[in-house]
Amino acid sequence: MAKSESEEEAEQGTLRWKEGLQQKASEAFLRQQEAAPNLRKLVYGSVVEADDSEEEEEEELGGLFRVSRPQKSKKFQANARDCSRFNPDSSHNWDLEEMLNSIRDCFVTGKWEEGQDAA
Amino acid sequence: MASQGLSYDGCNFFRQRLVLATLSGKRVKIKGVRSREDNPGLRDFEASFIRLLDKVTNGSRIEINQTGTVLFYQPGLLYGGSVEHDCNPQRSIGYYLEALLMLAPFMKTSLKATLRGVTNDPTDPTVDLLKSTAVPLMKQFGIDGEGFDIKVVKRGMAPGGGGEVVFKCPVRRSIKPVQLTEPGKIKRIRGVAYSVRVSPQMANRIVDSARSVLNQFLPDIYIYTDHMKGANSGKSPGFGLTLVAETLNGCFLSAEMSSTPQGQGDPVLPEDLGRNCAKLLLEEVHRGGCVDSSNQSLALLLMTLGQQDVSKVLLGPLSPYTIEFLRHIRDFFQIMFKIEVQKPLEDERKGGDKVLMTCLGVGYSNINKSIK
Repeated sequence: MAKSESEEEAEQGTLRWKEGLQQKASEAFLRQQEAAPNLRKLVYGSVVEADDSEEEEEEELGGLFRVSRPQKSKKFQANARDCSRFNPDSSHNWDLEEMLNSIRDCFVTGKWEEGQDAA
Repeated sequence: MASQGLSYDGCNFFRQRLVLATLSGKRVKIKGVRSREDNPGLRDFEASFIRLLDKVTNGSRIEINQTGTVLFYQPGLLYGGSVEHDCNPQRSIGYYLEALLMLAPFMKTSLKATLRGVTNDPTDPTVDLLKSTAVPLMKQFGIDGEGFDIKVVKRGMAPGGGGEVVFKCPVRRSIKPVQLTEPGKIKRIRGVAYSVRVSPQMANRIVDSARSVLNQFLPDIYIYTDHMKGANSGKSPGFGLTLVAETLNGCFLSAEMSSTPQGQGDPVLPEDLGRNCAKLLLEEVHRGGCVDSSNQSLALLLMTLGQQDVSKVLLGPLSPYTIEFLRHIRDFFQIMFKIEVQKPLEDERKGGDKVLMTCLGVGYSNINKSIK
């Protein structure tokens, strides 16, 4: 039994890459989707609005009082500070030569494209 | 209920909602403003903002309930003219000015606003930043004319304030569509290092350290030092730096930093501030685009309100504030943008991914503007 299996394997060895092609393709597709998120969907897609007043949060104490707790761990905060400044969480380390090189061509001192001139 | 206007929960993106309501003439109701907090309702700075809005419009109806957790706003006509306002020092003048910049071109008569309060604080875009980025951006949209300017008469740092700013803006009947798809290379960097009620030497120390970082890229760097004295120096000590990179195609990218307000956290050294601010500018250059991150929503608004023609603008990554602004534009003007991600080429050294925003203007025309 074991022998026949190994034989089969040897026979099909060359065709192994064909296995689960569809799955591989869909995985690759999903990976790419994650790398380049569909911005339109991100912006205009249906937003699950995390409401401040969710029913299940309201516990009753002795059938008379309700516990009201402000929620601080919510991703979406209805009462967050209204500020237009963009402070991304992950800032690059601008002490590294590598980072400095990544924007060199944004300046006139960088490399120019064909057909363009400093004049 | 939909015909009754729009309804929102919470006080986040407060200004966006009121500004867009004013421009579109739609009523808006904001519910549940900090309703679960120990100190519920609208804050003083929001009340101050509403008062400013009331001053520049004619016939607005504002109703606030007793606890301040529900606000109803029925916009009137944008009137403009000469306005004076004492801005609440909880937020800097930039907070109020950002909204005025969006409204000013659509007034009946050109606006001359004198705003008093905090000119520079670490939270909001400062007056200096808006002066050097928002004004040239608006000029690209055809909003130009005599006396279009933001002037810092007196500088007032947080928390005391005591600054004064004069903002003048001409009115336009319609907005020009734009095609800002190629930012071009950065040709020069300008900046202002300001200091009040501290040694004037502070500004020089900021300039030296900022230069040491930026000189790796460009020789053409000039940072002005601005030290205001006496009556023009406000009530609190402080210093800061605003840097602006100008490209060959007339796009502006900016970064800024202010010292921590007196009595709120650890003090900063001017050398650190200069160096960190320069790095923030490099970060902004990395993000790139034709409009810098703090003016994204202004550019998108002017694109929306343009003539019925296609406008294109290349931006850096969208900030959360801008994303919410896009949703609000859809709510108020039924305009959706086409959003395309542009990846940099293999051998290009021009920073990260860019976003190309395309839209068809609604053909907004300023019915308030008087014909002379």
